[in-house]
Amino acid sequence: MSQSLRPYLQAVRSSLTAALALSNFASQTSERHNVPEIEAASSPELLLNPLTISRNDTERVLIEPSVNSVRISLKVKQADEIEHILVHKFTRFLTQRAESFFILRRKPIEGYDISFLVTNYHTEALLKHKLVDFILQFMEEVDKEISEMKLFLNARARFVAESFLTPFD
Amino acid sequence: MLLLDYQNVLIQSLLTERFSGAPPASIDQVVSDFDGVTFHLSTPESKTKILVSIHVKCFKELVQYGAQAVLEREYGPYIVSPEPGYDFSVQIDLENLPAEQEAREELIMKLALLKRNAMAAPFERAFDEFAELAEEASRYTSESAPQGVKEGGEVMSIHYREEEAIYIKASHDRVTVIFSTVFREETDRIFGKVFLQEFVDARRRVVTLQNAPQVLFRNTPPLELEGVPGVENASEGEMSYVTFVLFPRHLTPQRRYDSISHIQTFRDYFHYHIKASKAYIHTRMRKRTADFLQVLNRARPENEERERKTASGRTFRVQS
Repeated sequence: MSQSLRPYLQAVRSSLTAALALSNFASQTSERHNVPEIEAASSPELLLNPLTISRNDTERVLIEPSVNSVRISLKVKQADEIEHILVHKFTRFLTQRAESFFILRRKPIEGYDISFLVTNYHTEALLKHKLVDFILQFMEEVDKEISEMKLFLNARARFVAESFLTPFD
Repeated sequence: MLLLDYQNVLIQSLLTERFSGAPPASIDQVVSDFDGVTFHLSTPESKTKILVSIHVKCFKELVQYGAQAVLEREYGPYIVSPEPGYDFSVQIDLENLPAEQEAREELIMKLALLKRNAMAAPFERAFDEFAELAEEASRYTSESAPQGVKEGGEVMSIHYREEEAIYIKASHDRVTVIFSTVFREETDRIFGKVFLQEFVDARRRVVTLQNAPQVLFRNTPPLELEGVPGVENASEGEMSYVTFVLFPRHLTPQRRYDSISHIQTFRDYFHYHIKASKAYIHTRMRKRTADFLQVLNRARPENEERERKTASGRTFRVQS
């Protein structure tokens, strides 16, 4: 793990742990409804201060807490066209499986690649520290996966080109 | 299977079976090949006479560049008048096959290479033209060469797919083969770029490939294609032009057969590997997603209360 990654992940971990203090909260605007307040944004007193943790200008995390839900959005590093397309493909792959990734938001919020929505029901049914672990592991591995795929693509391209040109020799 | 075969494997296996002495049977099979080429193998008259027909989209252009002569040279005695709906037909009589096994195999291979031979005509013509120009040019010094020699021959274009074409141009010191190729999707375009960049760099990087043809690629039509009809100056960025520069050492009579076969497979080879990379990346993502799901499922507490039983097998039920 590189020098700058460790404090970044540590900051995300502590902020997330703090933000995931959620309670059941029924809607104030319509009776017998109970919706994630961060999505509904029905009254300002239920929303807490959003927080951005940036590692550099291409990688950052946005944590938006509210009384009964937290929205976490990630921006993954995309140095060039290939990484961009790989990140796009990969996040699309994940969001299409949002049904089984119960905390995954089906659509990332604007300016980010992937978003999670954790509600009080999730923190009640699941172990909170394991949820934080999951998000942290996700952040670590996405980068690794993207760079490995990129390396693979370049290696394959090189091999393919050389094998095509060899018979001419 | 890294490199693609030059011949059509289905035709090859069909004919091998027929030629092996199996009892004659009627065949009626349509075989597809790359670039929208279709073959039709049938036994219209009797079970021992196999008719092999080929349909190529750009056959008219190929004839213009001397395909008929090439095909006559290759298939001379077997040629029959083309079947309706197809461009060229050959007929083989099973009762009249060459006696030796080797000659039979050669005949099978020849028929399986029907597409390759049909497409080879413009290449052969360009190679011949190169030889003439080279001889002509050797009589002049570079300053006094007349314009015609410097410029080289005309550009031959073969529109072998809907929107894609091969352009061939002979000069006195090389033959230039240009493929135009379309990428339908953004992903394909970027993957294609990575691959093409490696094609361009391979020659520079690897010592053993110093003698390979030079490869260039760009998104606008190369200068050689200036004024060629059908080359739009579209700047949509969907079109890529890949140029192969074949040097005299690839054009010698001993090498030309393999050079022609090999360069014809470029487009299919290139697109095949783009698709293969996409497929690999897809399976990889699938696996990684499964891993993530496993990590997430660890967050579920293991509170599963199993049904408790007494020694006699009775169970307790919690009264709610």
